[in-house]
Amino acid sequence: MKQNKQQGNLTGKMKKPLNKRLIRELKGDIGKYIVIFILLVFSIGFVSGFLVAGESMIQAYDESFEKYTIEDGNFRTEEKISDSKKERIEKKGVSIFENFYVEKEFDNDTKLRLFANREEVDKVCVMEGRLPEELREIAIDRMYADNNELSVGDTLVSEGESYEIVGLVALSDYSALFYSNNDMMFDASAFGVAVVSSKQFAEYPEGKIRYNYAWLYDKKPVTEEEKKEASDDLMEALTGIVTLENFVPGYLNQAITFTGEDLGGDKAMVEVLLYIIIIIIAFVFGVTINNTIHKEATVIGTLRASGYTINELIRHYMAMPLIVTVIAAILGNILGYTYFKNVCVDLYYGSYSLPTYVTVWSAEAFFKTTVIPMLIMLVITYFVLRKKLQLSPLKLIKRDLSGKKPKSAIPLSKRIRFFDRFRIRILIQNKSSYIILFMGLLFANMLLFFGMMLPPLLMHYQGIVTETMLAKHTYMLQIPAGAIDSDDELSASISYVFLLNKISTNNPTAEKFSAYGLKTIGEGGNRIEDVNLYGIKEDSKFIHATFDDKTVLVSSAYADKYGLKKGDVITLKEPYEDKYYGFKVTGIYNYDGGIAVFMSKKHLNELMGLDEEVFSGYFSDTEITDIEEKYLGTIVDEESLTRVTRQLMISMGKMMYMVDAFSVVMFIVLIYLLSKLIIEKNVQSISMAKILGYTGKEVAALYIVPTAIVVVASLLISYPVLSFVMVGIFRVMLKQMMSGWMVIWLDPSVYIKMFAMGMITYAVVAVIEYGKIGKIPMSEALKNVE
Amino acid sequence: MQLELQNIKKSYGEGGNRIEVLKDSSLGVEKGEFVVLLGPSGSGKSTLLNIIGGIDTADSGKIIIREKSMADMDEKMLTSYRREHLGYIFQMYNLIPNLTVRENIEVGAYLSKKPLDIDEIIDVLGLTEHQNKIPSQLSGGQQQRCSIGRAIIKNPDILLCDEPTGALDYNTSKEILALIERVNREYGNTVIMVTHNDAIKNMADFVVKLRDGVIRKSYRNETKQTARELDW
Repeated sequence: MKQNKQQGNLTGKMKKPLNKRLIRELKGDIGKYIVIFILLVFSIGFVSGFLVAGESMIQAYDESFEKYTIEDGNFRTEEKISDSKKERIEKKGVSIFENFYVEKEFDNDTKLRLFANREEVDKVCVMEGRLPEELREIAIDRMYADNNELSVGDTLVSEGESYEIVGLVALSDYSALFYSNNDMMFDASAFGVAVVSSKQFAEYPEGKIRYNYAWLYDKKPVTEEEKKEASDDLMEALTGIVTLENFVPGYLNQAITFTGEDLGGDKAMVEVLLYIIIIIIAFVFGVTINNTIHKEATVIGTLRASGYTINELIRHYMAMPLIVTVIAAILGNILGYTYFKNVCVDLYYGSYSLPTYVTVWSAEAFFKTTVIPMLIMLVITYFVLRKKLQLSPLKLIKRDLSGKKPKSAIPLSKRIRFFDRFRIRILIQNKSSYIILFMGLLFANMLLFFGMMLPPLLMHYQGIVTETMLAKHTYMLQIPAGAIDSDDELSASISYVFLLNKISTNNPTAEKFSAYGLKTIGEGGNRIEDVNLYGIKEDSKFIHATFDDKTVLVSSAYADKYGLKKGDVITLKEPYEDKYYGFKVTGIYNYDGGIAVFMSKKHLNELMGLDEEVFSGYFSDTEITDIEEKYLGTIVDEESLTRVTRQLMISMGKMMYMVDAFSVVMFIVLIYLLSKLIIEKNVQSISMAKILGYTGKEVAALYIVPTAIVVVASLLISYPVLSFVMVGIFRVMLKQMMSGWMVIWLDPSVYIKMFAMGMITYAVVAVIEYGKIGKIPMSEALKNVE
Repeated sequence: MQLELQNIKKSYGEGGNRIEVLKDSSLGVEKGEFVVLLGPSGSGKSTLLNIIGGIDTADSGKIIIREKSMADMDEKMLTSYRREHLGYIFQMYNLIPNLTVRENIEVGAYLSKKPLDIDEIIDVLGLTEHQNKIPSQLSGGQQQRCSIGRAIIKNPDILLCDEPTGALDYNTSKEILALIERVNREYGNTVIMVTHNDAIKNMADFVVKLRDGVIRKSYRNETKQTARELDW
């Protein structure tokens, strides 16, 4: 027993000297550890912050449904609903609440939808200040305020009336500030929501008030099908009681659901990014460890021969990478919960008008940013070490590390210049490092590509969308649903004739068109989206195509998004009915502004069972001023078409800069680490070359140029690969993110910028490496270690 | 005189740890001579060789090579001195591990404006059939022959050999010594060889014995033996 104990003590003491090396190893290679550490801390910190922020936001969003009693849907009627009608509606299993609003243009060229404070449903979250109580007081949406640089105490002016901003709020039913549910994207700089006091709201003239009602089901439907059924039933019931102007069930309301769909969306992508970074770093460690083992083979062999077990040595060599990862993970998590969480919350608040949140401790975030990276590091380093250390002590002492017969050299033609052959040998010698460098650069470039390509893509889209606009102004008339949606065609026609007077214009440039909104059927997991069918009159000034009775042209955006070509059949359905339409595409019309189908007016009207004369809007070169605003629905002009790009720029702009910065850091770290490694591996040879009389320049030409070649080649190869991959990713991303379509365009000048950035980064590292080569003493070669 | 060392002093370390490695050593070497620096470990022979080779510097004293003082040479001039005039052979070969035998020799050839014919050298070294192998595929003797090839291909004025047979067995050592002897004879290079093997002094024209950093004895060898005749 006693002897055993003594032995134990002895082994304990024996291990200590080895552990002391760790500090020395750290000091000796501080540069490498610092850059890896920083990269890890930032990656883990950002992802941790992102996940924590995301989870806190999701929680805030999910809880908001109950906390603020978010509606199950809303509809708008032409007139205020009488009590008796309200009673009839509520018998259908819903409670309805007035949620009236007026819309006002303000002097800062923005539009606000003003509600009276809601007390029962769609309650308001006050983010700063207070709710309005008096006349001329207003509480505006927080994000709209941010985008327009407004704060509490400022004033907003509309039609000569000034409002004092007394609070910044989030409206629970407007977490994404969609003006209309048909919009492709919201634009929180040009449109916002706000609340005023009941006193103030009462001041607005009746003609200006939009009679919007929110409903809550008495018994909430749960599944998507139930929700659909419930809302379909309700709509059917409503059309019999009131004249609907708008009907949006909550589950289809983009202003409510868009945020929720998007909040979880980036999570998987960010996690994958983290794991790729960790794997790359683990491989960097792997190559480093490999190098160390090569360097210390005789020592390791001697230790093994004197009784150290493989596992003891594996633990020893694994310690440093793991310690670095653990400390980085801890610090990363601290930064994640403090600094990066706020950065990411700002990103969310920059895109969505979310209510206040509480930071939640996320076990998932901890697991994903700490446990998984540790495991990845552990597994990769363990296997690298295991493979090398399994060699017999004798082989290690003899430095025979290949495990197999010595590999023979790849024959190279003598005709290749000596220096070039030398470099090729270095490339071959360091192929594993260079493969990691290539993969790392590919990855860093992917981030950079993403960050740098998106803004020009958006700008380009903005350009072409305005170029291919159907008309300078496209007006959709807002025709009360009952007028044409009646089962009785005769009465529909009569009310239509009655309306005709009010919706006629004297504008000479105006051209009538008919339009009909259908929806895609969402085949293949695509999101269901609106398709505008345009009925074009003969010899149109605006749509340059000839139409016969069978002509069905799809917009180029439609064709691009769904890969449609001539001869394909598209199936569309009525939004609120089980009625399907099939169209055979006869051509593609160059229009990138939306998902649209063009046919002759006669054809469309016939199809929809409408009179040939019925029309639903105007194309016009100039603004139409002689139609009452209440009859004008969606107006498509340059401003509305470019809304999507503006919002994306706002919500993704910050993220893009962060992505750019991060990828540049990745670039530097990888190039620095791997070229450092390659030089370290060849210290002996470099030293010998110096003894032989090679100048510093010549040595650099031999040992730096191969890395330069790999960097240049990696960059050049990465562009076509990434263009292909990223177009795919952009397509999937945009398909998921938006209704409508954005033509994907890659700006050629970005390639040049990216290449320049890559080269400048490399040049910086090369200068550092050049200095390092200069410092390698000639005595290295005299150390008598081969 | 091709090379002259006057009152060379060299010490390492500072304060109490200061060790004088070379204490006032002087030496003169004629062109084409085969010089052996003989001494036990720590006698300062390798330090002296490194100072001659310009990869270490003397604390004081004068080194004159082809009538030029090394003290007047900056780093750049030292590099070109090594490049143009010196060949180096080490105990541990110091071959570049990822280059073939031929390429390792080319590393030397590149440095010379008028290198010797590489195929001839490879043939002389007996490496023809191994020329496309990398160092790890070779025996110690073959590696050393390769490093000799790298040193002599540029036909240097002075060939510096630091214990070239230190890691080799008896027969291989003799073979390597014979090779160096042949190079000295056929190409006329001055050879300065550091060794602790007393027997090797017998093949030298000029023997310098060192101990504790001091040249104890130096003399011209009148009864020169060939490498083949050596025995230890």
